[in-house]
Amino acid sequence: MKREISKKNRRIVVIINYLSIFFILVFFYAGINIGWNVLIIAGEIIVIITAVMSFIYLHIRTHLWKLVHTSIEELDERQIQVRYESLRYSYSIFSIISLLVIFYHSLTIRGDVSFGMLILSSLIYLAHTLPSSIIAWTEKKI
Amino acid sequence: MKSRKIYNRISVLREERGVSRKELAEKIGVNFQTVGYLERGEYNPSLDLAFKISEHFNLPVEFIFSTKPLKPMSQELFNHKNKKI
Repeated sequence: MKREISKKNRRIVVIINYLSIFFILVFFYAGINIGWNVLIIAGEIIVIITAVMSFIYLHIRTHLWKLVHTSIEELDERQIQVRYESLRYSYSIFSIISLLVIFYHSLTIRGDVSFGMLILSSLIYLAHTLPSSIIAWTEKKI
Repeated sequence: MKSRKIYNRISVLREERGVSRKELAEKIGVNFQTVGYLERGEYNPSLDLAFKISEHFNLPVEFIFSTKPLKPMSQELFNHKNKKI
Protein backbone atom coordinates (compact mmCIF):
# COMPACT_ATOMS: atom_id res chain seq x y z
CA MET A 1 0.00 0.00 0.00
CA LYS A 2 1.26 3.47 -0.87
CA ARG A 3 2.03 5.65 2.13
CA GLU A 4 2.19 9.44 2.22
CA ILE A 5 4.96 10.89 4.38
CA SER A 6 5.40 14.58 5.12
CA LYS A 7 8.31 16.37 3.46
CA LYS A 8 10.01 16.95 6.84
CA ASN A 9 9.81 13.24 7.76
CA ARG A 10 11.03 12.22 4.31
CA ARG A 11 14.09 14.43 4.71
CA ILE A 12 14.79 12.95 8.15
CA VAL A 13 14.57 9.39 6.74
CA VAL A 14 16.89 10.30 3.82
CA ILE A 15 19.49 11.53 6.35
CA ILE A 16 19.01 8.43 8.55
CA ASN A 17 19.37 6.13 5.53
CA TYR A 18 22.65 7.62 4.29
CA LEU A 19 24.04 8.01 7.82
CA SER A 20 23.35 4.32 8.46
CA ILE A 21 25.21 3.42 5.22
CA PHE A 22 28.10 5.61 6.39
CA PHE A 23 28.16 3.90 9.81
CA ILE A 24 28.03 0.44 8.18
CA LEU A 25 31.37 1.39 6.59
CA VAL A 26 32.70 2.88 9.85
CA PHE A 27 31.86 -0.25 11.91
CA PHE A 28 33.08 -2.57 9.15
CA TYR A 29 36.49 -0.94 8.82
CA ALA A 30 36.72 -0.53 12.62
CA GLY A 31 36.09 -4.28 12.89
CA ILE A 32 38.82 -5.04 10.36
CA ASN A 33 41.39 -2.66 11.86
CA ILE A 34 40.67 -2.95 15.62
CA GLY A 35 39.17 -6.44 15.65
CA TRP A 36 35.57 -7.61 15.84
CA ASN A 37 34.34 -7.19 19.41
CA VAL A 38 30.76 -7.38 20.73
CA LEU A 39 30.29 -3.60 20.59
CA ILE A 40 31.35 -3.32 16.95
CA ILE A 41 29.29 -6.37 15.91
CA ALA A 42 26.20 -4.99 17.73
CA GLY A 43 26.76 -1.55 16.16
CA GLU A 44 27.12 -3.09 12.69
CA ILE A 45 23.91 -5.13 13.08
CA ILE A 46 21.95 -2.10 14.35
CA VAL A 47 23.03 0.15 11.46
CA ILE A 48 22.32 -2.58 8.87
CA ILE A 49 18.79 -2.99 10.28
CA THR A 50 18.35 0.82 10.31
CA ALA A 51 19.53 1.05 6.69
CA VAL A 52 17.13 -1.70 5.54
CA MET A 53 14.16 -0.30 7.50
CA SER A 54 14.71 3.28 6.32
CA PHE A 55 15.13 2.05 2.73
CA ILE A 56 11.81 0.17 2.84
CA TYR A 57 10.05 3.09 4.56
CA LEU A 58 11.37 5.75 2.18
CA HIS A 59 11.75 4.05 -1.18
CA ILE A 60 9.37 1.08 -1.25
CA ARG A 61 6.33 2.14 0.79
CA THR A 62 6.11 5.53 -0.92
CA HIS A 63 6.50 3.92 -4.39
CA LEU A 64 9.43 6.26 -5.08
CA TRP A 65 11.55 3.31 -6.16
CA LYS A 66 8.90 2.45 -8.77
CA LEU A 67 8.70 6.07 -9.96
CA VAL A 68 12.43 6.10 -10.71
CA HIS A 69 12.81 2.56 -12.05
CA THR A 70 9.58 1.90 -13.97
CA SER A 71 9.36 2.34 -17.76
CA ILE A 72 8.54 5.81 -19.15
CA GLU A 73 5.26 4.54 -20.70
CA GLU A 74 3.81 4.00 -17.23
CA LEU A 75 4.45 7.58 -16.10
CA ASP A 76 2.57 10.79 -16.86
CA GLU A 77 4.27 13.95 -18.15
CA ARG A 78 4.79 15.50 -14.67
CA GLN A 79 6.28 12.30 -13.29
CA ILE A 80 8.65 12.08 -16.28
CA GLN A 81 9.73 15.68 -15.64
CA VAL A 82 10.28 14.95 -11.93
CA ARG A 83 12.30 11.85 -12.80
CA TYR A 84 14.53 13.64 -15.34
CA GLU A 85 15.18 16.45 -12.86
CA SER A 86 16.13 14.00 -10.09
CA LEU A 87 18.45 12.09 -12.46
CA ARG A 88 20.15 15.35 -13.47
CA TYR A 89 20.90 16.24 -9.83
CA SER A 90 21.88 12.64 -9.01
CA TYR A 91 24.42 12.57 -11.81
CA SER A 92 26.12 15.70 -10.45
CA ILE A 93 26.02 14.64 -6.79
CA PHE A 94 27.22 11.12 -7.55
CA SER A 95 30.11 12.41 -9.66
CA ILE A 96 31.25 14.77 -6.88
CA ILE A 97 31.00 12.08 -4.17
CA SER A 98 32.81 9.51 -6.34
CA LEU A 99 35.60 11.99 -7.09
CA LEU A 100 35.95 12.82 -3.38
CA VAL A 101 36.14 9.10 -2.49
CA ILE A 102 38.76 8.48 -5.19
CA PHE A 103 40.71 11.57 -4.12
CA TYR A 104 40.65 10.52 -0.44
CA HIS A 105 41.63 6.97 -1.40
CA SER A 106 44.53 8.18 -3.56
CA LEU A 107 45.87 10.19 -0.59
CA THR A 108 45.68 7.23 1.79
CA ILE A 109 46.52 4.16 -0.33
CA ARG A 110 49.92 3.42 1.26
CA GLY A 111 50.83 1.04 -1.55
CA ASP A 112 47.46 -0.77 -1.62
CA VAL A 113 45.55 0.40 -4.69
CA SER A 114 42.54 -1.92 -4.30
CA PHE A 115 39.20 -0.35 -3.37
CA GLY A 116 37.26 -1.91 -0.52
CA MET A 117 34.31 -3.91 -1.85
CA LEU A 118 32.06 -2.31 0.75
CA ILE A 119 32.98 1.20 -0.45
CA LEU A 120 32.20 0.20 -4.04
CA SER A 121 28.91 -1.39 -2.92
CA SER A 122 28.02 1.81 -1.06
CA LEU A 123 28.72 3.87 -4.18
CA ILE A 124 26.48 1.55 -6.24
CA TYR A 125 23.78 1.85 -3.56
CA LEU A 126 24.17 5.64 -3.68
CA ALA A 127 23.87 5.67 -7.48
CA HIS A 128 20.66 3.64 -7.33
CA THR A 129 18.97 5.46 -4.46
CA LEU A 130 20.01 9.07 -5.13
CA PRO A 131 17.25 9.86 -7.70
CA SER A 132 14.43 8.68 -5.43
CA SER A 133 16.09 10.33 -2.41
CA ILE A 134 16.22 13.62 -4.31
CA ILE A 135 12.52 13.31 -5.16
CA ALA A 136 11.78 12.54 -1.49
CA TRP A 137 13.83 15.58 -0.48
CA THR A 138 12.36 18.08 -2.94
CA GLU A 139 8.79 17.15 -3.85
CA LYS A 140 5.90 18.67 -1.90
CA LYS A 141 3.74 15.57 -2.19
CA ILE A 142 4.61 12.08 -3.37
CA MET B 1 13.75 28.86 -19.31
CA LYS B 2 11.37 29.55 -16.47
CA SER B 3 7.78 29.21 -17.60
CA ARG B 4 5.11 31.64 -16.42
CA LYS B 5 2.36 30.71 -14.06
CA ILE B 6 -0.76 29.32 -15.72
CA TYR B 7 -4.00 29.83 -13.80
CA ASN B 8 -6.80 27.30 -14.17
CA ARG B 9 -10.34 26.42 -13.14
CA ILE B 10 -9.85 22.66 -12.85
CA SER B 11 -10.77 22.37 -9.15
CA VAL B 12 -13.93 24.51 -9.57
CA LEU B 13 -15.08 22.52 -12.60
CA ARG B 14 -14.23 19.22 -10.97
CA GLU B 15 -16.20 20.04 -7.82
CA GLU B 16 -19.10 21.50 -9.82
CA ARG B 17 -19.41 18.20 -11.70
CA GLY B 18 -18.82 16.04 -8.65
CA VAL B 19 -15.73 14.36 -10.05
CA SER B 20 -12.98 13.19 -7.71
CA ARG B 21 -9.30 13.80 -8.46
CA LYS B 22 -8.83 10.09 -9.01
CA GLU B 23 -11.72 9.89 -11.50
CA LEU B 24 -10.47 12.93 -13.44
CA ALA B 25 -6.94 11.52 -13.42
CA GLU B 26 -8.17 8.23 -14.90
CA LYS B 27 -10.13 10.06 -17.61
CA ILE B 28 -7.21 12.22 -18.73
CA GLY B 29 -4.57 9.53 -18.22
CA VAL B 30 -2.40 10.97 -15.45
CA ASN B 31 -1.54 10.12 -11.85
CA PHE B 32 -4.10 11.49 -9.36
CA GLN B 33 -1.38 13.54 -7.64
CA THR B 34 -0.71 15.30 -10.95
CA VAL B 35 -4.31 16.60 -10.85
CA GLY B 36 -3.52 18.12 -7.43
CA TYR B 37 -0.35 19.73 -8.79
CA LEU B 38 -2.34 21.13 -11.75
CA GLU B 39 -5.10 22.49 -9.52
CA ARG B 40 -2.64 24.24 -7.22
CA GLY B 41 -0.84 25.74 -10.24
CA GLU B 42 2.38 23.97 -9.26
CA TYR B 43 2.65 22.26 -12.62
CA ASN B 44 1.86 23.68 -16.06
CA PRO B 45 0.30 21.06 -18.35
CA SER B 46 1.50 20.34 -21.86
CA LEU B 47 -0.73 21.48 -24.72
CA ASP B 48 -1.86 17.88 -25.19
CA LEU B 49 -2.89 17.52 -21.54
CA ALA B 50 -4.60 20.94 -21.54
CA PHE B 51 -6.70 19.83 -24.54
CA LYS B 52 -7.51 16.52 -22.87
CA ILE B 53 -8.81 18.44 -19.83
CA SER B 54 -10.83 20.86 -21.96
CA GLU B 55 -12.30 17.94 -23.95
CA HIS B 56 -13.21 16.18 -20.72
CA PHE B 57 -15.09 19.22 -19.39
CA ASN B 58 -16.38 20.03 -22.89
CA LEU B 59 -15.26 23.64 -22.56
CA PRO B 60 -12.82 25.81 -24.57
CA VAL B 61 -9.25 25.54 -23.37
CA GLU B 62 -9.05 29.34 -22.82
CA PHE B 63 -11.99 29.11 -20.40
CA ILE B 64 -10.07 26.64 -18.20
CA PHE B 65 -6.53 27.99 -18.53
CA SER B 66 -5.22 31.54 -18.53
CA THR B 67 -1.95 33.40 -18.03
CA LYS B 68 -3.85 36.00 -15.95
CA PRO B 69 -5.71 35.29 -12.67
CA LEU B 70 -9.18 33.98 -13.52
CA LYS B 71 -12.32 35.71 -12.27
CA PRO B 72 -14.95 33.65 -10.41
CA MET B 73 -17.26 31.84 -12.85
CA SER B 74 -20.34 33.64 -11.46
CA GLN B 75 -18.76 37.01 -12.29
CA GLU B 76 -17.83 35.83 -15.79
CA LEU B 77 -21.43 34.73 -16.32
CA PHE B 78 -22.78 38.06 -15.03
CA ASN B 79 -20.43 40.03 -17.34
CA HIS B 80 -21.40 37.81 -20.27
CA LYS B 81 -25.13 38.40 -19.64
CA ASN B 82 -24.61 42.17 -19.28
CA LYS B 83 -22.73 42.25 -22.60
CA LYS B 84 -25.68 40.57 -24.31
CA ILE B 85 -28.16 43.10 -22.89
